[in-house]
Amino acid sequence: MQLKRYLDLYTLLQQDRSSREERRAFGLSEAVRGKDAAEQLCAWAEAHRTSLSRPLLSEQVEGVLYHATLIFGIAAFLLGIVTATGLLSYSGKEPVNLVYFLAVAVLLPLVTMVFAVIAMFRANRARNFLVHISPAYWMTRIIGFFDRKGSLKFNTIPLNPLILNWIIIRRSQLLALLFAIGMLLALLGVVATRDIAFAWSTTLQIDAAQFHAFIEALAFPWRGWLPSAVPSLALVEQSHYFRLGGKLSETMVSHAAMLGAWWKFLAMATFVYAILLRFGMYLLAGWGLSRAIRRSMPALDGADVLLRDMNEPLITTHPDEKSVSSDMSQERLYTRMDAKMAPSYDTVVGWAIPEETLVSLCDTFSVTAAACREAGGNRTLEEDSHTLETLRGTVLLFVKAWEPPTMDFADFLKAVSQRVSKVVVVPVGTPKEGYVADARHKAVWERKLALLDYPNVWMLR
Amino acid sequence: MNRTDYPRFAVVGHPNKGKSSIVASLAMDDAIAISDTPGTTTRKARYPLKVDGKTLYELIDTPGFQRARQVLAWLREHETDASRRHEVVRKFVNTHKDDARFHDEIELLEPIMQGAGIIYVVDGSKPYGEEYEAEMEILRWTGQPSMALINRIEEEDYTEDWKRALGGYFQMIRTYDPMHATLSQHLKILESMAQLREEWTPQVKASIALFERYHAMMRERSAAAIAKLLYRALSHVERLTLKEGEAVEDAKKRIASRYKQRLRSFEVETQKRIEYIWNHQHLKKQQEQIRLEGLDLFSKESASVFGLTRKELLVTGASSGAVTGAGIDLAFAGHTFFAGGIIGAVVGGVGAYMAFNELADIQVLGRKIGRRTLQMGPMQNRNFPYILLGRILFHTTKVAQLSHAVRQSVNFEMDERFRERWLTDARRKQLEKYHKQFRQAKRPDEKMLAEYEALILEIIDTLLGEA
Repeated sequence: MQLKRYLDLYTLLQQDRSSREERRAFGLSEAVRGKDAAEQLCAWAEAHRTSLSRPLLSEQVEGVLYHATLIFGIAAFLLGIVTATGLLSYSGKEPVNLVYFLAVAVLLPLVTMVFAVIAMFRANRARNFLVHISPAYWMTRIIGFFDRKGSLKFNTIPLNPLILNWIIIRRSQLLALLFAIGMLLALLGVVATRDIAFAWSTTLQIDAAQFHAFIEALAFPWRGWLPSAVPSLALVEQSHYFRLGGKLSETMVSHAAMLGAWWKFLAMATFVYAILLRFGMYLLAGWGLSRAIRRSMPALDGADVLLRDMNEPLITTHPDEKSVSSDMSQERLYTRMDAKMAPSYDTVVGWAIPEETLVSLCDTFSVTAAACREAGGNRTLEEDSHTLETLRGTVLLFVKAWEPPTMDFADFLKAVSQRVSKVVVVPVGTPKEGYVADARHKAVWERKLALLDYPNVWMLR
Repeated sequence: MNRTDYPRFAVVGHPNKGKSSIVASLAMDDAIAISDTPGTTTRKARYPLKVDGKTLYELIDTPGFQRARQVLAWLREHETDASRRHEVVRKFVNTHKDDARFHDEIELLEPIMQGAGIIYVVDGSKPYGEEYEAEMEILRWTGQPSMALINRIEEEDYTEDWKRALGGYFQMIRTYDPMHATLSQHLKILESMAQLREEWTPQVKASIALFERYHAMMRERSAAAIAKLLYRALSHVERLTLKEGEAVEDAKKRIASRYKQRLRSFEVETQKRIEYIWNHQHLKKQQEQIRLEGLDLFSKESASVFGLTRKELLVTGASSGAVTGAGIDLAFAGHTFFAGGIIGAVVGGVGAYMAFNELADIQVLGRKIGRRTLQMGPMQNRNFPYILLGRILFHTTKVAQLSHAVRQSVNFEMDERFRERWLTDARRKQLEKYHKQFRQAKRPDEKMLAEYEALILEIIDTLLGEA
């Protein structure tokens, strides 16, 4: 898994405006079916890559990292050459103490590799001391410092600490690898161009046999197939050197040509411990980085929602088309309003109100009329026509306030208004309400009458 | 006439009796136009329940009957044989398709004649009237399976009168209050709809299971959004580079304001997300709700309503510190004579007590390289996560329990007893473990976030009565 994919996904998630329907459709496609979260996210990012605008953040970041790595890599390589040349500097007065070289070519890599392994185990910690002491960490800091005014704003890229740590661990391995290659090339170059007498010298009370055993152990990886790169006990004995007295032993001088034979061992030790093992560490760090990227992808802002949208069934209850409704709520003031009921009318009509209730209503409102008639309700249209024929003069029309006016009522009202001089519509409440209509219900009737606007129709305020 | 391979239900009735409210509630759609003005619904609207594009059933919102007696008169006039009444209704629909007078009747009868089941809605808070007989008779003539829903819009109760009147016309009668219906009441209505016709039962039953899953998904998504909010808010670090010549004190005020603003924006974003999850994108909030969003998270008032008291903070901090200390004791196999636990408890308790008012430290960084940057955060106030969590849980509970039929502004006034419903001592200790991690601005691993999310989900389930 590459950093590029992670950054592309990050950018896409930032700018994505896809609907749940689109996400679910993608989740059901062959491209993601049966895959884990990171693979699904990668597939999604791949499918949407075309919507990314250039320059891509991923390319910018990778470009900066590449150039920084190149510069630091060349520096590490040169440092390796300089270090090895320094360690192998030979004036002819004293042999080169190969213990120094072994310390830098074997011990230092092994120690830093142990640190690297510990750092790998602690990679998910934001504050990782072992990561922060790495030159690669400072490399990223320096990039950030110099890029503050640049367009990339490296420091603002929200890289997960886990990924950042693994980037640093991997870059550290690469720098160390280039340093070791520089050392090996310097060793070979110095050996090829100059005659060097190697010897070993230490304050520790180690005799030649013990040192040989140590050398044999170090040479374990290649002693089976490259015995010439494993110093013999005799060579170890002859190479033992003490600086005290400032003079070389005669035996050592007489075997000067033999002392140069150490170079094969040193070259192999550098190759195996500083290069081969480091390369293994570099591969391991690459695997770790890839795993970290894979693990971090679902933690990106918006990735959890995207994954849910892709994997959970899309349940919708919304209409395919927007529902059509009319806005009938505007205030329409009805102008033909009676403040109070007249004491008598020619006829009192109840719309869907039984005759016995009509009598109660007339009593309640102290209204008298020559006739009380029922209309609407479960009466037939013919019966309503008969009622209509009897109407004349002024009509008081009681309606149930809580039942909104239907077009059936409107038809009847229209017919009434054409026959009589005045019809007063009176919405009434339920018997439990004492026939007093709710203001909200009356407002509904008022709006409807305003909408109908039939002549001779009045409403009781 | 179109026939479909999924059940369809036409919600019909007299104008203004809550048909759209019932559809909004059953379809969980807060975008349906609902008004107390009759005639708001002028055309039928289909609300299919779809899973990944496949329709399981469909609700059809229809306009109310306008000229029911005239329709019935026409039907009676054209009746030939009692067993062929549905054909007469079909003939009526075909004949009057373009007749403006019967527009609403055609809109509601058409889906029924295409095979939709009937859900006839009446208002149980108003007395039964004989004018309903024509409508019910027309629906009986269609020959389609039917159910009556008594919706009590107001307080008065005429349910029994209605049941007697409806009994002669409909296969089953149910009561349903779309404004206050719970998920289980919603599912009971679906159960009844499943019984209307045998061949509809499997699909409607499948829909019931799906609605339960849908509800669970909404709770899970809410928990994820809340967990993310808490992590973001507690770990947030605000940085501000000082302008040239700017006094540090001025910059401190600026960064404090920006820090608070950012925390509030996290909360508002999450509230919107919760509303989106629960299909309440059109939610209108009353003035109090706006004040809730603008309410100072750091005011003493908020702390007393949602946060912990000083005493509770002391206990929470002490128990959290004691756990850390106990770890040290354990590492030394008890040779510390449990001093670790005791010291941890004291340090944790005092730390929590002292951190009641402070928000976060403001540090001046980068003096050495000539640029001064102020940094504020992560959150140090131990009470803040409980205030924030309480507020967002309250919001979630309210939104989750809010009917999709509600169109008026909703009052999100906070209830002082709400905290007692979710914050037990045991929960507080569980939560503190994660809050401590978030406060240190360390990115918790995915497993830890998942655990926290599960804990929030448990709280939501408790609050919604799903636990």
